[in-house]
Amino acid sequence: MSDIAISTPQAQMTRTHSAVGSLRIVQTACILVIALVIVSPLFMLLIASLKDDRFQILADMGSFRAFWVSDPTFANFAEVGNFSGELAFGRYLLNSLIILALTVGSGLIVNSMAGFVLAWGSVRGRALILSLVIALYVIPQESIIMPLVIMVSRAGMTDTFAVQIVPWIASPLYIFLFYQFFAQLPKELVEAAQIDGASIFRIYRSIFLPLSLPALATVSILMGIESWNQYLWPILVTQTDYARPIAVAIATFFGQDSIYWDRAMAASVLMMLPILALYLAFQRWFVSSFVGSAVKG
Amino acid sequence: MTLQQSAQPAVAARPAWRRDKSRLFQEIGMLAPAVALLTIFLIVPFLLSFWTAMTNQPLVPRPTPIRFVGFGNFLRIFRDDLFWTSLWNVSRFTFWILPVQCGLAFATALLLHQKMPFRNLFRGLFFLPAITSMVVVCVIWGTLFQYPTGPFNQVIGFLSGGTIEPIDWLGDPNWAMFSIVLLSAWQAYGFQMIVYLAGLQSIPDELYDAARIDGANALQRFWHVTMPGLRPTHVFVLVITTIQAFKLYTQVAILTQGGPKSSTETVVHYMVRSGFEEQKLGYASAVSVILFLIVLVIALLQRQLLRRFDV
Repeated sequence: MSDIAISTPQAQMTRTHSAVGSLRIVQTACILVIALVIVSPLFMLLIASLKDDRFQILADMGSFRAFWVSDPTFANFAEVGNFSGELAFGRYLLNSLIILALTVGSGLIVNSMAGFVLAWGSVRGRALILSLVIALYVIPQESIIMPLVIMVSRAGMTDTFAVQIVPWIASPLYIFLFYQFFAQLPKELVEAAQIDGASIFRIYRSIFLPLSLPALATVSILMGIESWNQYLWPILVTQTDYARPIAVAIATFFGQDSIYWDRAMAASVLMMLPILALYLAFQRWFVSSFVGSAVKG
Repeated sequence: MTLQQSAQPAVAARPAWRRDKSRLFQEIGMLAPAVALLTIFLIVPFLLSFWTAMTNQPLVPRPTPIRFVGFGNFLRIFRDDLFWTSLWNVSRFTFWILPVQCGLAFATALLLHQKMPFRNLFRGLFFLPAITSMVVVCVIWGTLFQYPTGPFNQVIGFLSGGTIEPIDWLGDPNWAMFSIVLLSAWQAYGFQMIVYLAGLQSIPDELYDAARIDGANALQRFWHVTMPGLRPTHVFVLVITTIQAFKLYTQVAILTQGGPKSSTETVVHYMVRSGFEEQKLGYASAVSVILFLIVLVIALLQRQLLRRFDV
């Protein structure tokens, strides 16, 4: 990411040195307070998941003991990490990973191909499709979900992996992000390849895709978060353990009379790890390319 | 189109029409998956929702035929007090979340835009809640909100020396929506922060330099350079946050189920309940059409505002 800072002339810097210095202290203090508010709940979650006594967890959280565990144990994780039975969070995690990988994988291909043709193709009606895609972006998932449930249950797709993947592969937002990214690349790239006799698919595959790592990273993170955190759709279309994602499984803790916070915390940490890994892997590209597309997107 | 004209003779050895045709086929082939998926899973259900909204379609098929009821569902929705309560609740939620979440995001972005050590680390840290699933957020905040001995109440009791009674954060109708606001702002503000950072970076440094030469102090530079430069960003952030607020569902469904006393009932929760608990899919579709119209109006408002700012 490019390091853009407000450039302060050196001379001015020394003149107002003390003022800048005290401002710096205020700035740092504010940042640290915000960091405390933002990060401490997550840190508490991690610490609590390593504590064995579920009655102690709540009592500890009101004090500094929330940030410290003297005898860390993975007992909670062992308890919920099963692949069958009542606490089969290992399985739910795997289900979510399968859904995530297939949704993001096919989403990258489908949406980038469409975005590329909309940017550089010659087929008639491109402009129309592009404006339709932008218009479709307004429709919220929540407002199509009722008829969609009827459609997939008529098609016998309930309680499958496919029903959680296929409907969310193509997305107006990501087609548009790819379109925007491809359109700003120089047209000489297309022309030169065309002269060499490359087909349009080859130009996309061998020239544009390798250049679009930032766009691919951004869409991977956004789509990954979206798929990973789906809640409303899977509760409507899954009934059994077979394809149940981990988000739905964790929510079932809240239906019980007294919540097993130790188990819920361990399952939550399990749920955070994969998306955290995805985010850390792609974060570099994500922030810098988000810069270009956020406001207009 | 420019491609054919600039083609060299070597390429033209193949007949032009064949080249064009195979190219056309390839383009259509590359567009087809997206167009087909969008049609089946977005356009068709969207159009269907308008039709279903005018029928008495139940969730599970019944022997009796589905009847066309015209605007009957809409009339019944408008006569239902609970619908108006849910609309009022999401408006209250919006009223609170806009200053809390966007204000915090804006302030953080301003702080992080300055040069400072570990800037990228903080940027990454502040985005962490945004990648955290709402279900996990509910686990964390569900413990923090515990009544009467949860962490928040313990801290308040300690700080006040026991003079302030424990608050039933999620069980008191006066507090429940505010508690939902707190956890929602905490979860989603990272996105707005990133958008604000992007907006700040898009303001050219020359503008600041010019203002400085003209003798503008830091406050004047903020007011006359930063704020005008961020107008489209402000519009974008406020609109996106408002739309998200009107779609409020997951945290309410998990933590309060719309209660206590319907104080956290939301439009989407109302829709899901009428569709799946009361099995009135036609009625629920009518609610979804109303939700779409609300979102549409907000989005059109955004376009209008952006046009006025000449972006």
